[in-house]
Amino acid sequence: MAILIILTFAAPSHPAPQRDISGLWHYEGTGASEPIAPDPLIPPMTPWAKEKFDAEKPGYGPRRSPGGNDPILHCDPMGFPRILFLNTPFEFVQVQGRIIQFFEHEHEYRTIWIDGRSLPTGADPTWYGYAIGHWEGDDTLVVESAGFKDKTWLGSTGYPHSEDMRVTERYRRVDQDTIAYDITVTDPKAYTAPIVGPHRIMKLRPHDTMVEEICVRSEEKSFANRIAEPAVRKSSK
Amino acid sequence: MRTGLLRLLIGTAAVLSAALIFSGVTRAQSTAQNISGKQFPATKPAPAPKRDLSGVWQLEGDIGAAPIAPDAQIPPMTPWAKTRFDAEKPGYGARGAAGGNDPILQCDPIGFPRIMMMPTPQEFVQAPGRVLQFWEREHEWRPIWIDGRPLPEDPDPAWFGYAIGHWEGDYTLVVESTGFNEKTWLSPTGYPHSEQMRILERYTRIDHDTIAYDLTIMDPTAYTKPIVTPHRIMKLRPGTEIPESTCVWSQENEFTERIRNPATPKK
Repeated sequence: MAILIILTFAAPSHPAPQRDISGLWHYEGTGASEPIAPDPLIPPMTPWAKEKFDAEKPGYGPRRSPGGNDPILHCDPMGFPRILFLNTPFEFVQVQGRIIQFFEHEHEYRTIWIDGRSLPTGADPTWYGYAIGHWEGDDTLVVESAGFKDKTWLGSTGYPHSEDMRVTERYRRVDQDTIAYDITVTDPKAYTAPIVGPHRIMKLRPHDTMVEEICVRSEEKSFANRIAEPAVRKSSK
Repeated sequence: MRTGLLRLLIGTAAVLSAALIFSGVTRAQSTAQNISGKQFPATKPAPAPKRDLSGVWQLEGDIGAAPIAPDAQIPPMTPWAKTRFDAEKPGYGARGAAGGNDPILQCDPIGFPRIMMMPTPQEFVQAPGRVLQFWEREHEWRPIWIDGRPLPEDPDPAWFGYAIGHWEGDYTLVVESTGFNEKTWLSPTGYPHSEQMRILERYTRIDHDTIAYDLTIMDPTAYTKPIVTPHRIMKLRPGTEIPESTCVWSQENEFTERIRNPATPKK
């Protein structure tokens, strides 16, 4: 058994292509409704954030309860960075001047501009923000993003953020099949220190394809009534 | 705020456009860029690049609630389609009335091909093996696979279908699509379709700044003949980026009550 395990881990992995993270990726080991960071890793909130936090009624985590007010329950966009922490794949497509990141969940995408532009100032806040990236060495894409609406939660367990939120991500392609992923959320209006997400691993899924998965309000409502609400009621007893 | 204002302007434009449809007045000069307040630099027609549709494009002329084809050009429906058609309560066109049941009123996806008729811009990005088509409206997108694969034989029905394309000569991208669910309307004026719908499109880049666009819908479950839509022109909008325009139900509902319903004639 020990030998088998060693063999599995020692299986040759191809070197990573340079400055290229194209392909379909999926987290290793994490399930649905993974929070951005475990509760103990969330820094103390400001009074502004605490008030919003107290008004949240999530459907997951220690504060879960039926009749929640998670914005996604009526198909408002999940937003960034919450969309990153789902048990569904995403894909990078690289073209001239940009990398497009497609998320299976909500059939969403965002553009990461790698043409040297700066983050805009004074732009309208959006659900998925505005992202720029640059390569650090040949293996790490560093992405900076800002310009987010404050209507989204950071995760399924809640946690607010403000429009001042800035997100820094590092996608390091460790080998052909692996990205080591780190995220830091900086939002002094809401948190007294940056939120540093746990180190995560993404694996290439070369034979998978993404399906069209759109949040459809009429269907979501029926799902909430039929499945989600009864399940939360049962588990919170 | 700016997108909110733009949305309001476009929405108002849609209502005005509907009013034009009702009154039978046509104004070919009423272009989207006037309405949105954007000014695009005048460009000289230059030769089209070969096998390349990259860029941000916008339909010329018709704006707002333009139907996919005038009623007179819609072929007779099958009984299956007629039943569905009679149950539709659109907000625009000859059947327009307040309190309608257009699926987009609750932010269900607008779907394909209806999204093609929106006055908002769209963008083509060419990537290896595919042409990506992005629409400002609903922040939606689809891949058009140009790697030689066939259409899937039994696709799961989807809101935006499954599309493949090939180049005919150096300037025309021919796109075939299938695999649509039957929950969407073809037009703001209604018109159903079935899961058997197949679509043929031709995007011909006739010069640097212009695409000539043709769309044909084949759906024998719903229509006794193909729907051949009017020839449309798209113009390049250089130097623009597609903003994020997401349908948000909480906002959409408010918009319906404040703008749409008061603007729609009572029946």
